[in-house]
Amino acid sequence: MNEQQQGEARKLLAVFAHPDDESFICGGTLAKYAAEGYEITLVSATRGEMGRRMGNPPYLNRETMADARERELREACDILGIGRLILFGIRDKTVEFADEEQLTARIESLLGEIDPDVVLTFHEIMGGHPDHCAIGKATTAACRRAERTASLYYITFGDAMSRPERYGYTRHDIVKIDVSAYLKAKLAAFRAHRCQTEMDEWVWLPDREALSRFGKHEYFIHADPVAPTVAFRDAF
Amino acid sequence: MIPIDRQHTEAELRKFVGAEVYVHSEATSFVFVRNFKVKVTEAHVKGEGPYRVALRFEDRGWLRMEALTHAEVDGSGRLLLAGYDDRGRMNVALHLGKEPFAE
Repeated sequence: MNEQQQGEARKLLAVFAHPDDESFICGGTLAKYAAEGYEITLVSATRGEMGRRMGNPPYLNRETMADARERELREACDILGIGRLILFGIRDKTVEFADEEQLTARIESLLGEIDPDVVLTFHEIMGGHPDHCAIGKATTAACRRAERTASLYYITFGDAMSRPERYGYTRHDIVKIDVSAYLKAKLAAFRAHRCQTEMDEWVWLPDREALSRFGKHEYFIHADPVAPTVAFRDAF
Repeated sequence: MIPIDRQHTEAELRKFVGAEVYVHSEATSFVFVRNFKVKVTEAHVKGEGPYRVALRFEDRGWLRMEALTHAEVDGSGRLLLAGYDDRGRMNVALHLGKEPFAE
């Protein structure tokens, strides 16, 4: 970020599967990059309409869920500083059954339009949910076609990648972002996703206690580390 | 969504008997079907809560579900049944409507 040129803003494109992926997994990083002037575009492949958590006590049903989650996502985007939201409109739980060629082409076209400096998506194997893996696979394929894998990073869960060797990576592959100054925004985004977080008591504790549950760092795997760098780079 | 009253919900369900209806049915962690179109000939609600629901179809066929706890007739006249656990998570859902549900 230090080499940011005067004039044109730098751009980050995040391609995820469900409302809340952006907040729960890497909300601190998105808030940080937005605060540092990046223009952030978020793609959510689905509206999360097949989710299991319906509020606590439950106030949603399957037919009201899509609108509720989209509303929550837009609020989270405002909190984190995500300027543009694109919904692909694929039904939740069916991303892996979508036409892979069309999905890849759609993402490739966004890459051309936005020309992002950083692309974030799920790892196609370690994504943790079939929708995550499918959108990660399509985004990776699109980046390959557009010859943009040098800008591509995979989001990871919690602090698993503080010890990357356990997953077959080295510290040279990992970007470790200090998000300690952005945890308030991350917590607010968690709370914006109310129907999903309502049953997690810790989210609703007084701020200080709730904030203490967050790690100070978020970790990303560089898809295509160009050259050996210092262990644990601290920026994209 | 309000807790199921067995007799009331059964009466609402029976309003769909004789009609062509679109069905959304799911066991949330395992399976869903959406917009299956069937003609309903019988509709039953049994149990003391959570409740069991069964539909029979013209010619032949059953749909039976259990663990239903809540119900609602929405603004479009669709009957929405759901089964929640004690923390608001959905276990099952059964929706009936005269028009297709949004894909």
